[in-house]
Amino acid sequence: MGRIEWAMWANEQALASGLILVTGGTVAVAAQFKGWQFAAYAIVAGVFICLLEYPRGKRKKGSTMERCGQKYLTAVVKVFGPVTRNYYVRAILHAALAVPAGFLLSTILGTACLGIASAIYLLAAIRGEEWNPIEQKPQERPQVGGGTIKQPPTMPPPRPPPETRKKQPAEEASQENPIPVTIEVGGVGR
Amino acid sequence: MAPCGSGWLANEGSKHLSLLFWLSLNVWLFWKTFLLYYHGPQYYYLHQMLGLGLCISRASASVLNLNCSLVLLPMCRILLAFLRGSQKVASRKTRRLLDKSKTFHVTCGVTICVFSVLHVAAHLVNVLNFSVNYTEEFLALNAANYRGEDPRKLLFTTVPGLTGVLMVLVLFLMCTASTYAIRLLNYDIFWYTHNLFFVFYVLLLVHVSGGVLKYQTNLEEHPPGCFHPNTTLREDIPVPGTFEEPFPEYAPEPFPAELEPFVQNNFVRICAEEPKFQSHFPETWLWISGPLCLYCAERLYRYIRSYKPATITSVISHPSNVLELRMRKENFKARPGQYIILHCPRVSALESHPFTLTMCPTDTKATFGVHLKIVGDWTERFRDLLLLHSSQDTEILPNFQQRNYPTDNWQCYKLRRLYFIWVCREIQSFRWFADLLCMLHNKLWQENRPDYINIQLYLSQTDGIQKIIGEKYQVLNSRLLIGRPRWKLLFDEIAKCNRQKTVGVFCCGPNEISKVLHKLSNSSNSYGTRFEYNKESFS
Repeated sequence: MGRIEWAMWANEQALASGLILVTGGTVAVAAQFKGWQFAAYAIVAGVFICLLEYPRGKRKKGSTMERCGQKYLTAVVKVFGPVTRNYYVRAILHAALAVPAGFLLSTILGTACLGIASAIYLLAAIRGEEWNPIEQKPQERPQVGGGTIKQPPTMPPPRPPPETRKKQPAEEASQENPIPVTIEVGGVGR
Repeated sequence: MAPCGSGWLANEGSKHLSLLFWLSLNVWLFWKTFLLYYHGPQYYYLHQMLGLGLCISRASASVLNLNCSLVLLPMCRILLAFLRGSQKVASRKTRRLLDKSKTFHVTCGVTICVFSVLHVAAHLVNVLNFSVNYTEEFLALNAANYRGEDPRKLLFTTVPGLTGVLMVLVLFLMCTASTYAIRLLNYDIFWYTHNLFFVFYVLLLVHVSGGVLKYQTNLEEHPPGCFHPNTTLREDIPVPGTFEEPFPEYAPEPFPAELEPFVQNNFVRICAEEPKFQSHFPETWLWISGPLCLYCAERLYRYIRSYKPATITSVISHPSNVLELRMRKENFKARPGQYIILHCPRVSALESHPFTLTMCPTDTKATFGVHLKIVGDWTERFRDLLLLHSSQDTEILPNFQQRNYPTDNWQCYKLRRLYFIWVCREIQSFRWFADLLCMLHNKLWQENRPDYINIQLYLSQTDGIQKIIGEKYQVLNSRLLIGRPRWKLLFDEIAKCNRQKTVGVFCCGPNEISKVLHKLSNSSNSYGTRFEYNKESFS
């Protein structure tokens, strides 16, 4: 369990909670329920949360899967520097955003889910995680050989005269199997 | 997917047919329940109070019943393995269908999430209507205590309401942790949260025992919409739809059974007594008790079977960070293609990991073996433990699961030829099985079947310098190709050399290769060769 990155899960939860808030708020506004102002707030808050949480942060170790088209929002979120980088800020922000939606029946579940997301962000912050933007990789060279060769040779081989050409030390099968390999099969194809 | 051909039908046909069947079952169940609550006379007053929310919530509940019971069945791996390996399921089509059990589990899971959203939304509307449409006439039908009671209070103080909210939260946790990104990059979170399913099922059993929605029991004495002599006729009661056509006195067809009581009170519908209401028996208990008991029995069986430890007899270090482990265990039988799950309490008390068997126990030798690649913290700790204590016999507890492919005893399988294509990044990796491959090749050569195995080794990354695997592996050196395989050409060549035959394709590798191979297996070729696609999965 040592290498779990909680922030990634909190990010998924916050995104889902944003969508739940938007849905619940839309229903209440459309049906003009009593207290629809809370519903309107829920829609705005939900959209804001979705935009903030859409760009996935970079993992500490290994590669991270980007969400489709997230690079545009990454650029925006990156601008705010430490405010968006720090997960304590996100935890408090989500907890605060969740509270007003708890007053309306149709958005109350959004409140509960956002509350859980806020708690997991707090856990991530305590463990020292941070949001880092996923940078774009530089363009790859055009493929040679139909993409079958990863690193084609770039220089022709130098060919010194045979007398000076030393034999390359052959890669010996330096690994001796301690236990002899045997084949344990029955008859073949009979 | 490539356009339909015999390849597509062979690979995808039965899978799509089963999916269609499951979908029709869901649609039928939803529609049937919806109509029951919409038209059923026993729900007349309840429907009046709650409106469309009642019908949608009950219809989605019946779909949830079906899927909550089906979702457990693909996870009964030992049962599925038994079915797959037994002689009764001889058809290859059925076995390949059983391979798709994890996909079916995911499908049912997604359906549960979608219909839960519908169910919750409809019930929130019901809660509101219970409060607003509180009826003084039929007090037993109410869930609220007085008109205009705060719906949020109803939600959190009734048994179904509270358990429902808790179930939504559990489902939220499980759902957000089951996304593809989390499973790929943070498998632990997925695994630990998914075990919350047990809490979900316990809550579900309590949720349906609440008995908030009631049906009317005395339809004969009190047909809905009937005239009560002591009260004025209420004009605004909509007559149930069944009455709107006039009934001829002597109809040639018999009346449907549910209309009999109304026909008797045809013109003067007088209530004989007050309506009586009763809660339903929780139907969900019948739906999920079977699969839940089956799954619990399976977990218990797995636990008991894994109690005896295995003894490690040897640990061999291979290049490129691979470790070979050989073990022995009493009464352990396995067939080629199966995998085992290793659990080593000294490394981690909770984690266990699947590994394909690279050596199966035979009649003469009881040793079995796996190759582990050291990637991640569990394998690193395991390796450190093994190499430090390499002189002692360490105990680990393996669980045994049956792999989905290929499980048949190859002596009775009519295998004619095997194309073995292995792609590695580093040349040293080929040493993991170099000895075995060379020996197999030599043995077949001596038995005069040199074309039985066609070995092709591909080195996908090279720095340009000619490399060989090793001086003594000439058989493999001459079969080493630089660059990634061109799958289309390979498929064409295999199709040409094996016309009109069926070729099984077994892929162990990353998703990108799997997608390409799947697509090629589905597409048709001019030689009449059929490719049946199978993928490795530890499901």
